[in-house]
Amino acid sequence: MERAIERQRVVLQHLKPSLTSSSLENIDSAISASVCAAGDSAAYHRSSVYGDDVVIVAAYRTALCKSKRGGFKDTYPDDLLAPVLRAVVEKTKLNPSEVGDIVVGTVLAPGSQRASECRMAAFYAGFPETVPVRTVNRQCSSGLQAVADVAAAIKAGFYDIGIGAGLESMTTNPMAWDGSINPRVKTMAEAQNCLLPMGVTSENVAHRFNVTRQEQDQAAVESHRKAAAATAAGKFIDEIVPIKTKIVDPKTGDEKPVTISVDDGIRPSTTVADLGKLKPVFKKDGTTTAGNSSQVSDGAGAVLLMKRSVAMQKGLPILGVFRTFAAVGVDPAIMGVGPAVAIPAAVNSAGLQLEDIDLFEINEAFASQFVYCRKKLGLDPEKINVNGGAMAIGHPLGATGARCVATLLHEMKRRGKDCRFGVVSMCIGTGMGAAAVFERGDSCDELCNARKIETNNQLSKDAL
Amino acid sequence: MTVFKVPFNGYSVKFSPFYESQLAVATAQNFGILGNGRLHVLQLSPAPKSNQPITEIASFDTADGVYDCCWSESHDSLIIAAVADGSLKLYDLSLPPTANPIRSLQEHTREVHAVDFNVVRKDSFLSSSWDDTVKLWTVDRPASVRTFKEHAYCVYSAAWNPRHADVFASASGDCTARIWDIREPGSTMILPAHEFEILSCDWNKYDDCIIATASVDKSIKVWDVRNFRVPVAVLNGHGYAVRKVKFSPHRASVIASCSYDMTVCLWDYMVEDALIGRYDHHTEFAVGVDMSVLVDGLLASTGWDELVYVWQHGMDPRAP
Repeated sequence: MERAIERQRVVLQHLKPSLTSSSLENIDSAISASVCAAGDSAAYHRSSVYGDDVVIVAAYRTALCKSKRGGFKDTYPDDLLAPVLRAVVEKTKLNPSEVGDIVVGTVLAPGSQRASECRMAAFYAGFPETVPVRTVNRQCSSGLQAVADVAAAIKAGFYDIGIGAGLESMTTNPMAWDGSINPRVKTMAEAQNCLLPMGVTSENVAHRFNVTRQEQDQAAVESHRKAAAATAAGKFIDEIVPIKTKIVDPKTGDEKPVTISVDDGIRPSTTVADLGKLKPVFKKDGTTTAGNSSQVSDGAGAVLLMKRSVAMQKGLPILGVFRTFAAVGVDPAIMGVGPAVAIPAAVNSAGLQLEDIDLFEINEAFASQFVYCRKKLGLDPEKINVNGGAMAIGHPLGATGARCVATLLHEMKRRGKDCRFGVVSMCIGTGMGAAAVFERGDSCDELCNARKIETNNQLSKDAL
Repeated sequence: MTVFKVPFNGYSVKFSPFYESQLAVATAQNFGILGNGRLHVLQLSPAPKSNQPITEIASFDTADGVYDCCWSESHDSLIIAAVADGSLKLYDLSLPPTANPIRSLQEHTREVHAVDFNVVRKDSFLSSSWDDTVKLWTVDRPASVRTFKEHAYCVYSAAWNPRHADVFASASGDCTARIWDIREPGSTMILPAHEFEILSCDWNKYDDCIIATASVDKSIKVWDVRNFRVPVAVLNGHGYAVRKVKFSPHRASVIASCSYDMTVCLWDYMVEDALIGRYDHHTEFAVGVDMSVLVDGLLASTGWDELVYVWQHGMDPRAP
């Protein structure tokens, strides 16, 4: 510390020399030392670019299709995953053998079988045997968890390049409970509530926080409207990898080759009046209907992450920087409130305020919880799910996180420098929430790093 | 726009004498007061409109701030860093990061402020330190060849004469510049050049008797060492202490300087209105400036705003 004080003294002497000689008039002695205004400013620190930042250089997804009826009803799950894995390395011209790990978020399929399918998908995608694969299951946020796990492993130095992905075929693996339930569950309300159907938790949220049917249906209509507009404007073309597959005619059994490149659950003509006619599914006088819940879908997504220094070496464009991730626990009976807790946690740990966030992707598991979280956090609806959400596009549980990352980063890219920070968040069945903060990769190259101050007492002319 | 953001505060920038597209940048954390340092080696893109005008080839971390750096005149991959902990570190770009630094020379007892490579006898270099000494080193020896101890306060820079392998000048906070011949036991000339600390000095590249000194008194003075009673020219125009001064390798009377007033200035000391260019692109103290030996008019600067700019004289450094 003495050394630092001595250094400060030497530099200060350059600016305010002690006047030992006669030529006083040449020296302006109006300078005095003061505390640096820049160092304690959050905005100042945010402008830094570090080689060990974890950045996203590619994020792609399949179209999301209605399960059992949609475009992927006759497609094997590994055939959904393989094309997106291939896309992230092909479009970046990365040598697949340089990938340190592939982590796949996946929820409903039996664990070991799905892990095997993912390993096989990596082979189909052209990865050599030397690249390992694993799965992760944090229910509806598995895709985001996979991305976060890869980011953490890169930060830890386990490897420099990794893929976080998500996969769900709800056609192949419907939601179900395998085996008997431990009777002990009756002794503990929290455990009991973990078994509630998701729709019931949605009714609980609507009831407890007074979210009306009207509000929910309105949110669903908005979701469809925005998703339809985004599709019509070609906004998803950048992020969707077309999948060549087949569809079997259920009556004749004829196979037809198809290429799926558009989400098939979006209904542009949906109105509040139409949705109002639907009956509640989970409770007689309830508010949650098929129209204001997320769609049951098939799909996959993949996100390529690496150290910034590696991306710069390879000359790859940086889509975004992975800043922070937070997973939190909430009451299982109202699991939908997860984002309302997880978003502030992730945003705070990035050193930001909610106002700093320019764009949100909040998963619309149910309109009830989506509307609640939006209101609870006081977010501007214009910043949330600007290209529609899960009620229109679909919610293939394990893939949703990766899908949201792709949608968010491509939208941030389109919006340019005004859109610096983005958040992906979702609620998680059995009472949790997860959120991650992303930053534009090139926001850091701003030329000015001094903040504005009220009084002009600084040496820097930025202060003027 | 040819600009590169470094994570720490810039302290010095030097063009490679071998490749016109390479430059080295010395940086220090927390304005060099406390923390680590890093030496960056940057590559300019050959394409003028490239979206990545500057890329990093290599960087080397140090335990204390890097205050200055210089390229070897004999090996295209050798760089010497002047580190605030008193050490000099030699880095070889052709070796893997684990093999670097290839040598660490720890003799100075305080911060090393500057380092300069001999352009005539291409194996020796000088370090100037806040421990009031200048040391002479050769690349192949693990210890200094000689220590020059006459200054009474920090020595901020020492510069070899471009023509004579044994002659150099030093600039000190004791308000004198001294001329030395390493064959002599002491300094051959004491130049009470300013009434305030002298932060930098450099030799004219075309006239081996002309030196320039830069001072806390905000002025740059040009001297003829054969007749040092009056300066050849006094260049006024900087608003605060002048941190570095450098003669052009291409034009005999052109001088570049940078200052605590956050500007980089270009001067022609032979003409009446000496100030021929003023660049105010930095937003904090401008402390490093260099002119390319290989490309006429190509300038580089760095400052405490963590930015490195490379531009052609006459252009706006910030121009897209």
